[in-house]
Amino acid sequence: MGDKHLIELKNVSKTFDTTEALKNINLYIRDGEFLTLLGPSGCGKTTLLRLLAGFEMPTEGRIFMDGADMTDMPPHRRRLNTVFQRYALFEHLNVFDNVAFGLKIKKLDKDEIKQRVGSMLELVGLKGYDKRTASQLSGGQQQRVAIARALVNEPGVLLLDEPLGALDLQLRKDMQIELKKIRQRLGITFVFVTHDQEEALTMSDTIVVMKDGEIQQIGTPVDIYNEPKNAFVADFIGESNILGGTMLKDYSVRFSGRTFECLDAGFGENADVDVVVRPEDIKVVEPENGMIAGVVKSVLFMGVHYELLVDTGEFTYQVHTTAKYSEGQQVGFVILPDDIHIMRPSEP
Amino acid sequence: MKRSYFALPYTVWMAILIFAPMLLILFYAFTDESAAGGVVFTLTNIIEAFDPLFTGVLLRSVWLAFVATAICLLLGYPVAYMLARSKSKNVTSLLVLFILPMWMNFLLRTYAWLVLLDNNGLLNSLFALLGLDKVQLLYNQNAVVLGMVYNFLPFMVLPIHSVLVKIDKYQIEAAEDLGADSLTVFRKVIFPLSVPGVITGIMMVFVPAITTFAISRLLGGSQFMLFGDLIENQFIFVQNWHFGSALSLIMLVLVLVSLALTNKFDKAEDGGRLW
Repeated sequence: MGDKHLIELKNVSKTFDTTEALKNINLYIRDGEFLTLLGPSGCGKTTLLRLLAGFEMPTEGRIFMDGADMTDMPPHRRRLNTVFQRYALFEHLNVFDNVAFGLKIKKLDKDEIKQRVGSMLELVGLKGYDKRTASQLSGGQQQRVAIARALVNEPGVLLLDEPLGALDLQLRKDMQIELKKIRQRLGITFVFVTHDQEEALTMSDTIVVMKDGEIQQIGTPVDIYNEPKNAFVADFIGESNILGGTMLKDYSVRFSGRTFECLDAGFGENADVDVVVRPEDIKVVEPENGMIAGVVKSVLFMGVHYELLVDTGEFTYQVHTTAKYSEGQQVGFVILPDDIHIMRPSEP
Repeated sequence: MKRSYFALPYTVWMAILIFAPMLLILFYAFTDESAAGGVVFTLTNIIEAFDPLFTGVLLRSVWLAFVATAICLLLGYPVAYMLARSKSKNVTSLLVLFILPMWMNFLLRTYAWLVLLDNNGLLNSLFALLGLDKVQLLYNQNAVVLGMVYNFLPFMVLPIHSVLVKIDKYQIEAAEDLGADSLTVFRKVIFPLSVPGVITGIMMVFVPAITTFAISRLLGGSQFMLFGDLIENQFIFVQNWHFGSALSLIMLVLVLVSLALTNKFDKAEDGGRLW
């Protein structure tokens, strides 16, 4: 992954009739990176991808690729290829002709087409499926064809619009690993759209969290998870306890009726803040040893851990623990300074 | 009670309305009345039907139906395409406007053309107004083809339109994405995907065109006979049901063969077809 900015979006906005799908987006995509656009449905992530592909034109702003303005360039002239959400394989063509579509348009030599399609089908694990039609393939296989059809053109960027959304859990996990492998082998820049935060965390170099047509945060998966910029990001990426608190002074925050030590500074004195504590960062101890205490309201077995809801009087905490507790039990919490995330309160 | 019993009324219906008449045609075509007043098996009707006099009419019918179908396709496809791709909210009303004439009686619609094309009709009056000579518009092949195209065009537009609107827009985008300009998208994706509609349209125009008799009689005049007129004549005026049936049988075989041929071109296995 280089530092070169392969794609740059400057002040890009998109309005459909009266709805603002994207509001003043500024973003660059580095050469060779795996960038994920993450957000709930309706956040504008797919619109952003369609702007990159050229299916939609921005209402305002410019889009650059390799330094050249490509805002007004029609899709067929862009050096990007798309893997569609529902694959969009050509029903009237078999697997080979689907994958060869782009190469045939470029009027490449027949033998070269044959060779490149063959090796691409081998890469996605569909060797020998040349003559099948889309309707004869499973969802996972169709997805592979769609990926092969895009990649065979050796695009500068591969755009993927929730490509794994229609697959079942196991297949999705397998495809995630495979996509990562394919990317490592080809070194192509991926722009990936998903609403699945886990998928985003496991696959990306960079995550762009979006909400209501605006970018909330850009960062590495670790940054986004550990240092969410606001309550929305904290809530969307993983599970969170978000509660109101007061920053008494630097490195000291008061919430849940108690003052905690923390690592944050620069909020001023007695400032209202949002406090975020991840459920897995709360250590459950005997009530007398805890910083705060509460009553277990419910216990859910989640496989690896138990999920407890603990009522401390003014707030119900979500807590993940590997030890079993029973409903009605008194427990105490320990929250370390490192695990307290302070952010400016979100607008009401 | 088994579920298949529910299909019983349908089966009875089919038997009465389709199989019985066909069996009757078969029966009449291969029989004749003997001098004694009985019925005898014979091949004379069939053999007689292949007389050049009649095959000439048949060939003319096939040719005119072919021309009318081709014109319907050339006119109908662009119309269906524009209706399908139009983003205007008036598309439905445009479509209704297109179907509207179909709700009128077929003969009435065709009579309307008489008024338009007559030697003293609307068009010729217009020509006169412009100082042009009168043109013989009626009672020739062109008038018959015009009548066919006019009457059967909706049957070409509708199936093509219904297939075109169902085309997945993402497949079109995928083609653009893979480097196809709009002409290539049409050539390599839209048209191939619309072929089932085209096939249906061709069948729905060609079959009624080849069997028509009213259009040729009204617009082509009595001297301009098509195979449909020939059959009608045998039943109504000559009252030779045996020969009429033989001619009908030939027509039936011809239609079935053309259906089988068009079906062979239609490779699509599912979806898109009207039936």
